[in-house]
Amino acid sequence: MKWVNAILAKFNWFGLAGGATTLLVIAVSLIYPWWQLTVGDDLMTINASPVNTNFGFLDTSFTIPFIWALNIVSILSLLASGIAMLIYSIIPRKSYSKHLLGFGYKKPLYTVLFFIIGLVVTTIILQAVLSINVPLMGSTTSTLPIPFVSGVTLSFLLTAGFQWSFWLAVVAAALCIAARLYHRKVAPTPSATTAT
Amino acid sequence: MDKIRLLLTLITIAIVVVPIVGMLLAYQGNLLGLFVPPEITETADALFGGGGDNGSGLEPPTMVGEPEYDEATGTFSATFQFKNSFPVNITIKSLTGNIECVEHRFTLGNASLSKPVSIDAGETGTLTIVGAWTNAAKSHFETGHKNEEFVDVVLVDFAVDISGIQIALDPSQMEQTMQVPNPAY
Repeated sequence: MKWVNAILAKFNWFGLAGGATTLLVIAVSLIYPWWQLTVGDDLMTINASPVNTNFGFLDTSFTIPFIWALNIVSILSLLASGIAMLIYSIIPRKSYSKHLLGFGYKKPLYTVLFFIIGLVVTTIILQAVLSINVPLMGSTTSTLPIPFVSGVTLSFLLTAGFQWSFWLAVVAAALCIAARLYHRKVAPTPSATTAT
Repeated sequence: MDKIRLLLTLITIAIVVVPIVGMLLAYQGNLLGLFVPPEITETADALFGGGGDNGSGLEPPTMVGEPEYDEATGTFSATFQFKNSFPVNITIKSLTGNIECVEHRFTLGNASLSKPVSIDAGETGTLTIVGAWTNAAKSHFETGHKNEEFVDVVLVDFAVDISGIQIALDPSQMEQTMQVPNPAY
């Protein structure tokens, strides 16, 4: 069993899994949104993820250019993170490996955190400015403010929820953090090695 | 080692800056377009900027002909026309309202859509509303309108469900009186 331990000690397996999962998250998120909001009976849908955010009105689908630019930032960031994590995981003891790890492991976590913060802030702004109560998860009936449509009240069912691709991104972020923690075991610092 | 650190920092900056600056340059002549694509403007115009009577793209249904009363079943029916001013095909799933006597503001019964109706974008569909007078309404017809062949009524608390969106019209938008046959005449 020595050779098993030798292989286990040679690579950072959490890093390999984290890097591969991060790249998988990019591919999956291009098709499956992290969070989806449906208005009425699929009259309007919002498919949101840091990688691909688009809006649908029945057969029409469109994106907001600024959000699209942010999506490109996220794609490149996650891509760089995934590649860095994979390279680091294969050679975790090289002198520059810790830099690769530092570069790669935070990005999936930050992407997930910024996405959640962005969603929460957007729903708070919609509630404050337009009085539209958008749920993060579950369903609610919202009423359009009267000034928009005089004499007519519009009420619509809003159904929202996080999709499986979001939880895959959470797993990727967790694996990358685990890789950072496991790094101490794979490549102990010189002082720690001396102490033991 | 420092070179790698510097390279990774530069990559991080480039990843963030290049797409955003590139998009800003692409939309420098139309910064609003960066946040509001033409599809949003077109949809908003179609929904709220149309030529509806109430300033929106929505128009209340208009009644066609006279309501009919079936003595045998004690039910009445009325036909309305509704123009689909939305840029998409819609399905009117339900339509409900209460009928009040105009003179006494007495609730005579409620009305609802006989069956869901699908209307293509820009087209006008025919809706048949059916309802029944309550026992109190029948008494009211006898006591309050005994010698009248037709009674003026109004549809109030009007609400319609279009593809999952509920539209409720204020009484001011739906003060459309109509005459119904008096079952007690």
